[in-house]
Amino acid sequence: MTSVQPNPGPAAGAPGEVVVDEPRRRLHPLSPLLSGAKSIAVIVAALSWQTLSQVGVGRFAIVVTVIAVGVVIFSVIGWLTTGYHVVGRELRIQDGLLWRRNRAIPLDRLQAVELRRPLLAQLTGLAELRLEVVGGGKTEAPLAYLTVREAAALRQRLLALAGRTPGVADPAAAQPAAGVPALERPLFRVSNTDLLISQLLTPQAFLLPVGVAFVITQFVLEGSWGFVAIASTVTAMAGVLLQPVRRVLQDWDFRLARDPGGRLAVRYGLLETRSQIVPLHRVQSIGVTWPLLWRAKDWLHLRLDIAGYAGPQANNDKRSDRLLPVGSFPVARALVWEVLPGVDLAALATLPPPARARWLHPIALRSFGAGMTPEVFVSRAGLLTRELTMVPYARLQSVRVVQGPLQRLLNLATVYADTAGGRSGVAHDRDVAEAWWFAEQLSLRARLARGPASHVPAAPPPAVPPPAVPDPAVPDPAVPDPAGPGAAGPGAAGRGVALPQPLPGPAVAHDAYWRRPSQP
Amino acid sequence: MTEPSTPAPAPTDPLEPWPDTVDWRPVSRSLITVELINRAIWSVVVLAALAAGWLMTGHWSWPAAMAAVLILVIWRSLVTVRAVKAWGYAERDNDLLVRHGLLVRRLSIVPYARMQFVDVTAGPLERAFHLATVQLHTAAAATDARIPGLPPMEASRLRDRLTALGEDRAEGL
Repeated sequence: MTSVQPNPGPAAGAPGEVVVDEPRRRLHPLSPLLSGAKSIAVIVAALSWQTLSQVGVGRFAIVVTVIAVGVVIFSVIGWLTTGYHVVGRELRIQDGLLWRRNRAIPLDRLQAVELRRPLLAQLTGLAELRLEVVGGGKTEAPLAYLTVREAAALRQRLLALAGRTPGVADPAAAQPAAGVPALERPLFRVSNTDLLISQLLTPQAFLLPVGVAFVITQFVLEGSWGFVAIASTVTAMAGVLLQPVRRVLQDWDFRLARDPGGRLAVRYGLLETRSQIVPLHRVQSIGVTWPLLWRAKDWLHLRLDIAGYAGPQANNDKRSDRLLPVGSFPVARALVWEVLPGVDLAALATLPPPARARWLHPIALRSFGAGMTPEVFVSRAGLLTRELTMVPYARLQSVRVVQGPLQRLLNLATVYADTAGGRSGVAHDRDVAEAWWFAEQLSLRARLARGPASHVPAAPPPAVPPPAVPDPAVPDPAVPDPAGPGAAGPGAAGRGVALPQPLPGPAVAHDAYWRRPSQP
Repeated sequence: MTEPSTPAPAPTDPLEPWPDTVDWRPVSRSLITVELINRAIWSVVVLAALAAGWLMTGHWSWPAAMAAVLILVIWRSLVTVRAVKAWGYAERDNDLLVRHGLLVRRLSIVPYARMQFVDVTAGPLERAFHLATVQLHTAAAATDARIPGLPPMEASRLRDRLTALGEDRAEGL
């Protein structure tokens, strides 16, 4: 997606410069100071208190000053050589002093745009703009830093350019998204009390009193109250609590909205605020998690997978993949309906694998399951922490069927539905005939969903052996959405804002996890 | 809303789904030779290292390890013949099917429209036997569509066909 053109020699101008209709712009003049401050803090931390006590305060100050000046000079040079501009439907970024880099980011490949404001940037009124494109393990184009106004304007412009892509939904509807003065439609706001309670209901916070009590009894029995022992206990406690605390700080004041262009706008964070805009057709999959300790509160967690945020191995805290940090079932149901129109969380039905798979999963067999709705492939797994994954057919990248030696003995196979978001929908241990049926249906429906046929109602393809069983409890939600999830892009956006599709009736079962298809 | 997943009566052979619609193509038998030579080189290196250890220490565990390695190599070599025969691929109208594996059997269905790029590679041994490997990449890292042991003509034909079809049906993500 991005092209990197190394060009030796510092004196050379930007290579391959065509006729540019707008001047190259620089980042904000304060950005070298801000990015320098981060590295200075790291270096000082690395020098540590021990060095301070060895060399004395005076020398330590001199060393720090020299390093600081060096870092700032380096950052200033970096700032002087960094520039960006929009050429046609590309964003071009140049940087580097010795190895000059000139990368062009085609905007129709833009997955999501995020505006991050770390604490220092908040104090100075600056922001970092991060563009997500597929390929490359990390965010390819962080523009740090711009003024908030500049960053917001640039984001609007990039999204407007990206939204004009003729590919996804309908080629005709190239409406100027920037010209729409409509306001955002707020969807949901997570209450901070709920967030705090939810993070207290994590294993870390739950086990902390036990650990502290254990340590204290040790101390009482031993009778030694040394400073080191107490200090290390406190440090260990802080380490254990770090993750819940970080979650609270990150997800503080979580707000969701639909922007005028129909895209999803997510804002959250206390010390570092993030504001992310995701076009709906870039959503690769949605994950629902019911953690064990949240069950008393009937809470769940929604995850949004977007291509471009590196795969599942990436650090979970750094990823911006939250759709709902904590919430009740009706809220989650409404949000899923909003993001994947036509998908009702309360009506997802899954079937567990055949009973003979018990040999492979003696305890947790019933917690596995898979099923298909007209829009998404649903799979679930997990007994204590329940996880349900929804993959829209239009986002499917490939289908795999894998059969291990034990599975062959039992005539079972596992079906994977791969997405670009890094996570796959997995139907564990299905009967072989059923696995082939799943694979065939998945590839067929994926083709129908991404082809020109996505404009017709997402009716079950003709090859489906059994017709859809009408569910008596829930009015069929497949009918009111003529566009299907693939068409929820910028083109269909105006309609989505004007007529928010109603949710079909009240939720029947609050626990969608175990829901089975109703048998005739 | 949900259709019960009652499967249609389908063939239950794990390597031969949809026999009437899919035309499986095998990979070249020369791949057996390549794999065997590859394994022979490795086993010679390992056996030589073990023999050196035996000469230096004289302990009985070294020849035992050598025997174990030898048995493993012979067994793997016998399996190789069947494993290479298990590789297969099929081009359907809209997707590429690749199957492989004996112990763990895998089948990948990759739509042409999802193709991001195609790799054609050939190592020194493969080149000596006029073979090449074609690999299809999608935006999902988990996609597993690799076809080894193709004659160069077939490899370039497949590459051209895949790229042509990919361009035809290209779209973003």
